[in-house]
Amino acid sequence: MRTATIACLPVLAAALMAAENNTFLLRNATVHPVSGPAIQNASILVVDGKIAEIGQKVAPKGKVRIVEARGLHVYPGMIDSGSPIGLAEIASVRETVDTGEIGDFNPQLRALIAVNPSSEHIPVVRANGITSVLVTPGATGGGRGASAGSLISGQASLMHLDGWTWEEMEIRRSAAMQMAWPVIQMPRFRGADIEALLPGLAGRRTTFAEARRNQQQQVQKIQDFFDAARRYQKAKASGESIQPDLRYEAMIPVLEGKQPLMIFAAREREIREALDFAARERLKIVLAGVRRPGKALEDIAKRNIPVVLGTTFVSPLEEDDPYDEPFTLPARLHQAGVKFAFASFGVQFARNLPYQAAQAAAFGLPYDEALKSVTLNAAQIWGIDSEYGSIEKGKYADLIVTDGDPLEVRTQVKMMFIKGVPVDLESKHTRLYKMYSARP
Amino acid sequence: MRKNLLAALAAALLIFAFLITAALAETVHWTAIRDARIVPVNGPVIEKGTVLIRNGVIAAVGAKVDVPASAWIIEGNGLTVYPGLIDALSTWGLPQAAQAQPAAAARTAQPQQAQPQQQQQTRSWGPRDRPGTFSWVRAADQVQLSDARLGQARNAGFTTAVTFPRQGIVAGHGAVINLGGKTAGDMVVAPDAGLYLALRPSGYIGFPSTPMGVMAYFRQLWLDAAHYREALALYAADPVNIPRPAYDRALEGVLGAKRVLLPAADPVQMERMLQLAADLKTPAVLYGAVRGYEMAARLKQTGTPVILNVRWPARDRDADPEEEESFRELKIRDLAPTSPTALSQAGVKWAVSSEGLETPRAVLRALKQSIDRGLKREDALRALTLTAAEIYGVADRLGSIERGKIANLVLADGDLFNDSTRIRMVFIDGVRYLPEPEAPQAPGAAGRAPSLSEEEEQ
Repeated sequence: MRTATIACLPVLAAALMAAENNTFLLRNATVHPVSGPAIQNASILVVDGKIAEIGQKVAPKGKVRIVEARGLHVYPGMIDSGSPIGLAEIASVRETVDTGEIGDFNPQLRALIAVNPSSEHIPVVRANGITSVLVTPGATGGGRGASAGSLISGQASLMHLDGWTWEEMEIRRSAAMQMAWPVIQMPRFRGADIEALLPGLAGRRTTFAEARRNQQQQVQKIQDFFDAARRYQKAKASGESIQPDLRYEAMIPVLEGKQPLMIFAAREREIREALDFAARERLKIVLAGVRRPGKALEDIAKRNIPVVLGTTFVSPLEEDDPYDEPFTLPARLHQAGVKFAFASFGVQFARNLPYQAAQAAAFGLPYDEALKSVTLNAAQIWGIDSEYGSIEKGKYADLIVTDGDPLEVRTQVKMMFIKGVPVDLESKHTRLYKMYSARP
Repeated sequence: MRKNLLAALAAALLIFAFLITAALAETVHWTAIRDARIVPVNGPVIEKGTVLIRNGVIAAVGAKVDVPASAWIIEGNGLTVYPGLIDALSTWGLPQAAQAQPAAAARTAQPQQAQPQQQQQTRSWGPRDRPGTFSWVRAADQVQLSDARLGQARNAGFTTAVTFPRQGIVAGHGAVINLGGKTAGDMVVAPDAGLYLALRPSGYIGFPSTPMGVMAYFRQLWLDAAHYREALALYAADPVNIPRPAYDRALEGVLGAKRVLLPAADPVQMERMLQLAADLKTPAVLYGAVRGYEMAARLKQTGTPVILNVRWPARDRDADPEEEESFRELKIRDLAPTSPTALSQAGVKWAVSSEGLETPRAVLRALKQSIDRGLKREDALRALTLTAAEIYGVADRLGSIERGKIANLVLADGDLFNDSTRIRMVFIDGVRYLPEPEAPQAPGAAGRAPSLSEEEEQ
């Protein structure tokens, strides 16, 4: 679908692309703007990649390409609020995994630079209606924060899932700073039986006091780093001549409260510490990977802190928790008045993002909220809601055209537009499907 | 000439023979414990009676016993005489290096460096490397009188222990030892109590690294041993034509095993071990069994004896205060002390191990908890004495107060399981031992003492 326009002048190329590709009239569809109620038999006029008009009576102005969508539904493209897509190809082949960098503090690193636009995962994820992703530079552990990686692993970038180069994919270079809150890590032996099998584990045991000391040392490291960054910020503001330091330089927008700090904290204890730290340092934060907020949920709501939830397809953290604890967590967050979005925190399973939201909807989350959590809420949390996240006049045309509810597993995404440009929905999966369907 | 020579020879022989009998039958030592309450375990309690000891062996027990004039009389008024207690799975008497590693189901924090595993640094690739195998090691060759824990054990009323080496996964042969004597050799009552096996896939590098692998390795080892025995027999029948099999100490050690001790902390592991014992065609004794309350019926069905670990699970002293404990854990913790009752009611032979407990005395306290939860006192006492002797095949010499048995006795000023009761003295092989001052920290305590820093005490 993508036409490679060979042109000497990039300006000309852009003009050509614009002329033939990102202006069209999509008509006779049911439009779900997300920001408002659905509109039956509506049309959407897209001019130069932006939504010019929506309504039941939209007249095409002059010669414009018509996209017929009778009986189909139009939704905003979905946003995955955290995934290392493009940074990791095959988990078990180390050379293909580019997440996580050595060292505790790497705020100067930007995820998008390292993204491989040709990753086989991108078309697969795209095919399920996901148009953009917050690409996270650090490892995102299974709900426990990036325990194995850095404390501050770098800047997470918002990117479109289509483009020849990372520059073409870029939405926001530095949407957030990724940080993991240190965890008090104690290997937990469940009853005597496990230990009977593996007494060797006993040798590796740490007492709670030791584990807590280790954690406090890590927290102190974070505090020291922020203090040093603040001194740098002050010195720079006062016009003193200082040795430039990329790490502290990268921290300035965070310290100014302009760039959100995305803190991974799963359990109540870490969440409370992270909230207190953010309040002391007057930071703008987003909590990520929240699993068991407990009573801290009220605090999260009171302080208006947005949350990024990981996959709902997990077992509870604690043995005695109800089986549906991970399924109902989004509903509980919603009831408490917390704004949240979903993230896959994975590569190949990023395609399941809509079904994470669907699972939450099946367990008490109102449907509209479920849909928002993968579209408008995400755009609001990352500060791009003036351009993305819903179907509204003036926003970019990141659209998906489906034959039904996109959170439903059986629904097919028929068309996709990123900034008004049609996107190829072929992927390795569809290629293999065709190949083996045609097998004699 | 010749006559003289013969006469001299005859005289010499006579003297020699006399010396031997004299050596075997020196002066007879009699000791009598008089007017005491006697609990013989194998029979009814004698409210007021006498135990007569002749050269370290019980000569007579009863309400009326004729005491020789030369006997040393112990006034037993107000005292109760019990058979010496037996720790059925222990490391007492072994040098600290030879015993390492926590027992099955004992929640201990033992640094791995405590293992004498320097020779194990090479990676093991398969059964041929005999990983973690020390089947030629015998506790009987290693016991020492200098072990400070012996005194501690005697203070608590223990006179006997079945002590096992601990290293790797085939640790070696245990020995039934008395906890006193003039020389280390005096201690050994039976040098072949059984071969101790552990499922410890992380004690060394390489194969086997999972419980399944460990069990497969055990099977292989036994198959190899059977093959070795056949090869030796063939060679013995025809040493001219049959090549001489290479001597293999690991297999020799396996062939000499009367029984195997296998870890069974929970029902699943028990099933695995019962199957393994059947595969090895060797009588098994299971140890651990903290969840014996779930395992009693099955153990009865298979007739397998159990050495119960009475270190009842408890919340770790160094646990995370915010950790929510699961119902399962709380249930196990609550029901573990009922295991002895369940085993007794089912008619399972069970004895007791001090493994993982801070002091030998704690064994009695742990059993007292079970008594408070319905265990009969006589059942608890039998497990500590006669049943343990039966399991290890030494009940003809130990475990009760009857004529002909080794004079291992405990004299206490009250019921053994009452906390206020004091052990006044013990007899081991008829020799009296008085209580010793308690060491502040028992070296037998497995694992580190929790480090109580200031911040923890707040």
